[in-house]
Amino acid sequence: MFSKKKPMWGKKTPLKSSYDVVLIGGGLHSLATAYYLAKEHGITDIAIIEKNYIGFGGAGRNTAIVRANQRTQYNVPLYKEALDLWPVLTKDLDYNLMFNNCGNLNLMHSEAAMKAARMTIATAQFHGVESHLIDAKEAKELVPALNISDDITFPIHGAMFHPPGGVVRHDAVVWGLARAAAEMGVQIHQQTEALDIGTRNGKVTSVTTSRGTINTKQVLISAGGYSAALIYDMLGIKLPISVLTIQAMVTQPLKPVLDHVVSSGAYHCYANQTLKGEIATGAHMDPWPNYTTLNTAHYIKHQAEALSEFLPCLRGVRFMRIWGGLADMTPDMAPIMDGDEQVEGFYMDCGWGYFGFKSCSAVGKYMAEFMATKKCPDILKPFALKRYEEHKLMGETAALVNYSPDN
Amino acid sequence: MMNRLNHLPTLKIDTAQKISYTYKGKSYYGVKGDTIASAMFANGVRIFGRSLKYHRPRGLYSLDGECSNTCMQVDGIPNVRCENTLLESGMVIEEQNVKGSAENDMMSFMDKLDWMMPAGFYYDVMHKPAKLWPVAMKQIRKAAGLGKISPDFKMPGKYDEVFLNTDVCIIGGGPAGMMAALSSAEKGLRVILMESRPWLGGFFEYRSAEYKDGQSLHDRATELAALVRAQENIRLFTHTACVGTYNNNLVTGFQIGKKSDVFDQRYVEIRAKSVVAAAGCIERPLLFDNNERPGVMQIACALRMAKTYGQLPGNKAVFSIGHDLGLEAAIELHDLGLTIECVADIREDGQDAVLLKQIAQRKIPLLKGWVAAKAFGRKKVKKVRLSSIDKMMRKTLECDLVVASAGVTPVTGHITVALGTLKYDNHTGCFLPDQMPENMFAAGRVLGLNDAMSIEASGTLAGLKASAACGLGSLEEIEKAAKIVEMLPGPVRGTKLVTAPVKGRKSFICFDEDATIKNIKQALAKGFDVPELIKRFTATGLGPGQGGIPGHNLPLYVAKCQTLPDVSIRPTNVRPPLVPTLISTYAGTNHTMFKTTAMDEMQRKDGGIFRNIGVWQRARYFSEDYACKKEIENVRNNVGMLDGSTLGKFRLHGPDALKALQRVYVSDMSKVKEGRIKYSAMCNDDGCVIDDGVVVKLGENDYYFTTSTGRAGQTIEWIRYHTRYDRWDFSLVNLTDSMGVINLSGPNARKVLEKIVDIDISNEAFGFSDYREFKIADTIPVRAMRLGFVGELSYELHVPASYMQSVWLMLKEAGKPFNIQNFGVEAQNVLRMEKCHIILGQESEQRTNLLDVGLGFLWNRSKSEAKTVGAVALAQAEHDQTRLKLVGFKTENNSRAPRDGALIVDQKVRGYVCTARDSFALNEAVGMALVDADLSKIGTRLEIYEDECGDDRIYGTVVKMPFYDPEGKRMKM
Amino acid sequence: MALTITCPICGKRNGYEFRFGGEEKGPRPEENGLTPEAWCDYVHLNKCVAGVQEEWWFHKDGCGLWFTIQRDTTTNLEAETVSMSKLATENEEAEK
Repeated sequence: MFSKKKPMWGKKTPLKSSYDVVLIGGGLHSLATAYYLAKEHGITDIAIIEKNYIGFGGAGRNTAIVRANQRTQYNVPLYKEALDLWPVLTKDLDYNLMFNNCGNLNLMHSEAAMKAARMTIATAQFHGVESHLIDAKEAKELVPALNISDDITFPIHGAMFHPPGGVVRHDAVVWGLARAAAEMGVQIHQQTEALDIGTRNGKVTSVTTSRGTINTKQVLISAGGYSAALIYDMLGIKLPISVLTIQAMVTQPLKPVLDHVVSSGAYHCYANQTLKGEIATGAHMDPWPNYTTLNTAHYIKHQAEALSEFLPCLRGVRFMRIWGGLADMTPDMAPIMDGDEQVEGFYMDCGWGYFGFKSCSAVGKYMAEFMATKKCPDILKPFALKRYEEHKLMGETAALVNYSPDN
Repeated sequence: MMNRLNHLPTLKIDTAQKISYTYKGKSYYGVKGDTIASAMFANGVRIFGRSLKYHRPRGLYSLDGECSNTCMQVDGIPNVRCENTLLESGMVIEEQNVKGSAENDMMSFMDKLDWMMPAGFYYDVMHKPAKLWPVAMKQIRKAAGLGKISPDFKMPGKYDEVFLNTDVCIIGGGPAGMMAALSSAEKGLRVILMESRPWLGGFFEYRSAEYKDGQSLHDRATELAALVRAQENIRLFTHTACVGTYNNNLVTGFQIGKKSDVFDQRYVEIRAKSVVAAAGCIERPLLFDNNERPGVMQIACALRMAKTYGQLPGNKAVFSIGHDLGLEAAIELHDLGLTIECVADIREDGQDAVLLKQIAQRKIPLLKGWVAAKAFGRKKVKKVRLSSIDKMMRKTLECDLVVASAGVTPVTGHITVALGTLKYDNHTGCFLPDQMPENMFAAGRVLGLNDAMSIEASGTLAGLKASAACGLGSLEEIEKAAKIVEMLPGPVRGTKLVTAPVKGRKSFICFDEDATIKNIKQALAKGFDVPELIKRFTATGLGPGQGGIPGHNLPLYVAKCQTLPDVSIRPTNVRPPLVPTLISTYAGTNHTMFKTTAMDEMQRKDGGIFRNIGVWQRARYFSEDYACKKEIENVRNNVGMLDGSTLGKFRLHGPDALKALQRVYVSDMSKVKEGRIKYSAMCNDDGCVIDDGVVVKLGENDYYFTTSTGRAGQTIEWIRYHTRYDRWDFSLVNLTDSMGVINLSGPNARKVLEKIVDIDISNEAFGFSDYREFKIADTIPVRAMRLGFVGELSYELHVPASYMQSVWLMLKEAGKPFNIQNFGVEAQNVLRMEKCHIILGQESEQRTNLLDVGLGFLWNRSKSEAKTVGAVALAQAEHDQTRLKLVGFKTENNSRAPRDGALIVDQKVRGYVCTARDSFALNEAVGMALVDADLSKIGTRLEIYEDECGDDRIYGTVVKMPFYDPEGKRMKM
Repeated sequence: MALTITCPICGKRNGYEFRFGGEEKGPRPEENGLTPEAWCDYVHLNKCVAGVQEEWWFHKDGCGLWFTIQRDTTTNLEAETVSMSKLATENEEAEK
């Protein structure tokens, strides 16, 4: 049972001269789209084009938190489905995705925040997603390490408790999806860079890569943080996106001390304990566009200051590793999923910011449906690019906007 | 307790000073200068802990923290690296990750189950049936993790931080770093020298070999250290580990305090003009079976145990080395009394002739082309099997110490985390610096150098280059220094051996994660072909040792398996912090910071209950009744005072002041009249309201305006941003902190105010929406506005912050006959809600535009030449009937008010309740909600869905706004 | 990474003293006849250049100036600093 000598996602194959579908980006959204195209729509003549290796970008850099407690009715059903899919995928992929549905605790630090949480919780409950408003004492019972005293910068008033959320092993999802897609015939071309998309008369005709040109009529760009630059470079389509570096870090491994995902908007900080025992924590983005994925001295210090206040026992713990990834932010904190609109046969799935991991399973399913049927599924319709020129931001964030980079 | 070697000049201990500590509940002694591990070793401890997965015994291996072998729980703090943490009196030390004890761990059977746990096995098991996983997960969590932290643990100690500027920052206080520091300092530059050990000297410090002319390396180190200390422009940070380097020459680290320091640890952040990376080398672990068995240790570890801590690391030793340092150590340790059974040298040739002679003189058997293949002994080394590299010959020797090392590996993390690159060097077998980050220069052993003179000369050169980067020095002298380096011996040839000739089931490439070379082969077979991916799949290098053990070997081993050419061998990523760093250290001092108004203390005395609101602390309530009945009724029926000082206050003046106002305010600001108040709003380019406030005209081209509390911090940049292309001439001054605001409200407000002012404030002389300036007691200048935010007769008095308390007390005194009371932010919230005056962020969200909240009347459409921010979007969205609109509602059947944030629903979510209260003034429940436009008609029934409501609903009806005093008579009285 | 920004008035300073203000897109467009597409392009859409771009920064903890710099988004290093006088000439040209 253990000695599967075969490479998990097939042997390296030469690039063919044509594919039915080309997916640019070897991250989770591409892999999931390929998986569902093959599994549910019988489309298997697919090439995934990845410049580095699968899971190189956000797929391998996120802190693996999953949840379905978003703010609007457009988002909640999508994320709910994504959440419900983890056990299903574990079974279907026959790969342990290590879903730990430990629940998420989103701390609230003021009366106003409690009100905002109540709206989000009511939205969740209205859509059949479990989520509750709890007070500080109840939060402390769930997370004994919490500091609920008044003498911190943002005293804890209560929390939004979302039991079905939790953590999924992100690398496992990458590898599991890649293996399953490859078994159905999808070709994963790593170390292959997509250079251009060829069009004629407003239709996609080809994709040029560092290993040759591929003829195709359908192409999806879902290359995480690199999507916006690629889409502008290849097709001249500008997007309401700012690409920021988002950082995360882990402490040295500890015996169990944190049984839930804890997060705080006011402190710009979340923390959860991985199965290995590390406290994974992060959230900060330096507010200027860059593709560096570099961490900053400023941030690791900020993070320590924040954790020192609301999880003070962690003061005795050491940070071990910090890293960065890209978050492609939109002005309304909601993604852009669109296709067959600007150029026939061209699809995009981007602008996920730091929500790309939690959504990948459901989005793959619906983007696959979109590409296979050439009809946009209802659930994806609100995410079209057009909403920005129609002055209809999504409302995923309640806070007042500022000017760039997030408008 | 072991007798220490005394009288060695290199010792860092003082055996006369005993230090007591507790280990597993028993009391022991170490000596001053001991690390925790050296003290424990002296007391006979050989097994310090157990490994993560297999619970293998682990002991002293290196002394610089490359692995978690000696991580222990010290005073409740987990994962303390005992090998380089100084022993302190009273320390309480416990073992980690053991069931039973480190000596006898009941989980040690795990070591036999490795066949069940190939690389990535956990992805293939425990998910079928699905019910199994939650159970298994619990066990995994319990088994994983090293140290323990109690949820109520309180970290003791004092933590400080310093932010320094310097010309040259030097990382590493060895010979190269010291020479670099001296050459930069001699130019008169400001130099910071960081050294992670408590003393200077690095690679020279613990060695007795000859430097030159009979002087030992140790003495040379002492000499250099004295020179460094004598330079006043070198700031010395010993016991300071560098944890991060960043582009633009930012360097971070932390310093361990001495007894005399005011801190236990302090975070150090340095902005330098140039940086020298001279952190030397660690050793490349030798891969053979049981290569981490207690009793197996690296060369410098064995040598420094003797030379620094005065302890022989064993009795009978076998060396398996691939570097001259191994020969040197064998000689030194032999002379100190260690029996050396054999030295196996990987190298067939190339050894230093003098060292070979000295080995021979001592009759130490030397096997060239041999290597350790397997260590034996269940818990501690009892014997070792040596093998010739070609596997043709073997022999087994009894011993209790195996000094094992494949060679050296430069510490290059300081270069790569700042985006420098490395290149595999075939001669040394190391990854050496290739592209250096801008203004960073490498020196010493980092460059692969080994010769003492070369190391020093490279330090001088790097110091000169770093000085040149600061603008001092000449090209000539750099060239001259470079010539000297060239003439001296270059890097020595390194061994290429990656593993001993073994299958590798128990050859550990990563100690922390219990990853063996067999695991690496398994990962390769699964298609993980890039070292970074193998790292992920096998967790190699992801433990507390931060890749110190596998960092060099993993890419070499993968390259060997894939038979890659040299050019393709790439190192794996190193990530900061380069040394694990306590969260308390990073956090430094307390950072809780808030602004308080001039009225803070007095309001607290009056029973104010404060909340943090934005950057301020404000009084939200004045009693435990959070519904604020008394406060509200007092304003409605009598008179109250609110401290509104947090309001943003600005002066805008200059020839183009009006143009700037026209750009950012939606109204026609040319209509602002002297002596009158203009209420208006600012939108963003989406037409969404971002701020509202009042504007008054102080004089020609001179305006005073207010913003909401939350926007005050951004107002200047906002106005300047939206006029950035125009080069208009105006000045903008933020007066928020220099002016306080008192809101005096209620039907008796005039009666109170007229007692302390001299001017006529009758309704005729100072009517609603009027603005007046006057002085109180001929001294205190006041800007007064008749506003009606709370819906009553109301004066907003803007007073210099320094006079706020005086005016406040005068009003309080004048209000005594009326029993004037404070009111807080929540009372104001309810009062204004009853008037349907909105608070942005409460009755609006990100996507809500000016029209949506019913403020469209403020918008002047006939000033397109002003290019007003938001005007285009408002015009384009004006006729959109699918937006959210703000409505007022009352509940049906006199039911209670829904909670803020409740939803308006039918089959879908149709909106939400912004603010709703059971109104004391109206005796019914009223509120405002943002709803879909088609629900906004008066009389529409609203179905209200609260959190946790189950099937219960509250129903409301859309009614006209405002609810209270619709004609506005009361605020105009 | 440690960003530094060169302010035309205050010189090279710690990047956290500044606020980023978006890609340089030219002066505000005329309102009359501005289509939703053109409006959206000006307000929301970005090129997201992976390389050197001209962009706005505000010295919030300093002199309070808005200015543009050229910065390489792949390294976070400034490519070239633009003087205010150059900016002024450009604006004059743009106005013509």
